[in-house]
Parts: sequence; C-alpha cells; structure tokens
Amino acid sequence: MKESLMDVLCCPMDKSELELEVDERADDEEVLAGTLVCSECGERYPIEDGIPNLLPPDMRDDVPA
Amino acid sequence: MGVLEDKARARLFYKYLSKVYDTINPFIWNEEMRTEAIGMLDIERDDRVLDVGCGTGFATEGLLEVVDEVVGLDQSPHQLEKAYAKFGKHGDVRFHLGDAERLPFEDDAFDVVWSSGSIEYWPNPVETLREFRRVCKPGGQVLVVGPNYPKSSVFQKLADAIMLFYDEDEADRMFHDAGFEDVTHRLMGPSYDPDIAITTVARVPGDEDADVDATATSEVEADA
Repeated sequence: MKESLMDVLCCPMDKSELELEVDERADDEEVLAGTLVCSECGERYPIEDGIPNLLPPDMRDDVPA
Repeated sequence: MGVLEDKARARLFYKYLSKVYDTINPFIWNEEMRTEAIGMLDIERDDRVLDVGCGTGFATEGLLEVVDEVVGLDQSPHQLEKAYAKFGKHGDVRFHLGDAERLPFEDDAFDVVWSSGSIEYWPNPVETLREFRRVCKPGGQVLVVGPNYPKSSVFQKLADAIMLFYDEDEADRMFHDAGFEDVTHRLMGPSYDPDIAITTVARVPGDEDADVDATATSEVEADA
C-alpha cells in the first residue's frame, strides 16, 4: 500500500479517518504489512502483502482476527 | 431478488468463476466494448480513477492505457489473484479489498469512478450509486457497465432468477435517484449480440462549469 493513498482512505463503516500502524515497509512509500485503525469506531483493517483489506467486518469471513 | 444478490453467495460464486472468468468474459465484454466505454469519459493521464469490482483486471488494463495509475477495489480475493498476476501487487494498480456499497474512500476523492460487470451483484444499486457519487468529485464522471435486459423470454426468466438486469429506463431512474445528472447510455456488444451490455455515464452535480438543470435530483443527499 502506498502511504500517500492514506489521504483518500477512510473507514468503510463510519467514513472516519484511519490511522496507519506499520509492521513492515518495502521503502519510504510502500507499506507491506500493518493495520489501518479507525479513529472513531476502533475497527482494525489488516494490510497483508501490501494489500489493505477494507472489507467491512461482516464480509471478512476468512481473514484471521 | 436474484440468487447472487447476496454477498456471501456472490463471493462463493466468484471463488469458482474466477478460474474461468477471463476465458468466458470476451463473449459479453470485449476489448472493443471496453475501448468504446473508455471513449465516453473525459479522462486525463493524471486523473485519480477508481475501478470498483475490478476483478481479474480486464477493464483496469484498458484504463491504464489512458491514465498513469488506477485504484482497484474488489470483494473477492480469488478474483484479485488473477489481477495481481497481471499487474503485480504494488505497481500501477493500487489494489484494495472492499465492498462497493461501503467504499473505504473519502468524499470527492476521485475524478472518475468506473465499474464494469459488478452492478448485477449489488443488493441495493441506488445506494451503491450514491456511494459512488460521494467519492467522486463534483463535475466528475461515474461509468457503469452492466447487462442489458435480455429480449428473449427464456433469458429473461434466467436473468430474473440469477441477478439484476436493467434497461435504459431503469438505468435512468437509478442514476437520477442516486443524484446524478447528464445521464447517458449506450448499448454495446459483439456483432452477434450488439446490445448485450448497457454502459451508463453520469456526472456528479456541483461543478460550476456543468449545467445546473438537475435541481430535483441534486437535492437528494447521500445517507448521513
């Protein structure tokens, strides 16, 4: 995930801002692993292999918590 | 209600369909149709473009001929695997897993919102179109390609049972209810079935350069 895209991302549920927690980077711009956390509802959205999983919780059936 | 207008079913369906999707896809939605649809857009190279339901990336590939970067979103990890194989995971297409009806993007984030072959699976098409309008800038364009309602009654029965099909009148109603203006449609298809797909382009009201004649519909606000 490109960090500059944080500007346009928001929580799919309440459209509030997301905060980025980085576990692994490829470089300054590219986040490979981490979590996007909603600043309002606290919902956590995983970034795995650089792909943010912003599916609402009710659609994230096969993703480990 | 068609059997695929349920997201869990749609996901299961796609898990298996993704294996053959690009093989069967050209019969309903081919490169010529894709080029014609892209030609309906005012698009510039540095525009921010969202492809909702990008799936295996067939439309995304066409969009990349006219823009530098595409933001792709799909609900199916299985469909996306095919797209990763084409574009890589961290290249000119920025992929996201997400739901069309509950987009994880800010208001006015995109110049163009594109969606082909996805509307037929949306449980609430008007709500989803409203969500597209929310993330698209005032004056920006939304383009949706879906299946035109079939003429033969056998296919109509099949269509009604499986998923959403619609005609130009229905598309007009849905886009106006969702608050769009300048709604235009074009029927497309291969020579043996020239009106199998319907492509609708509409504009988000609010740009000072655009006409302000859609007073009735522009007052419809997205859900709070």
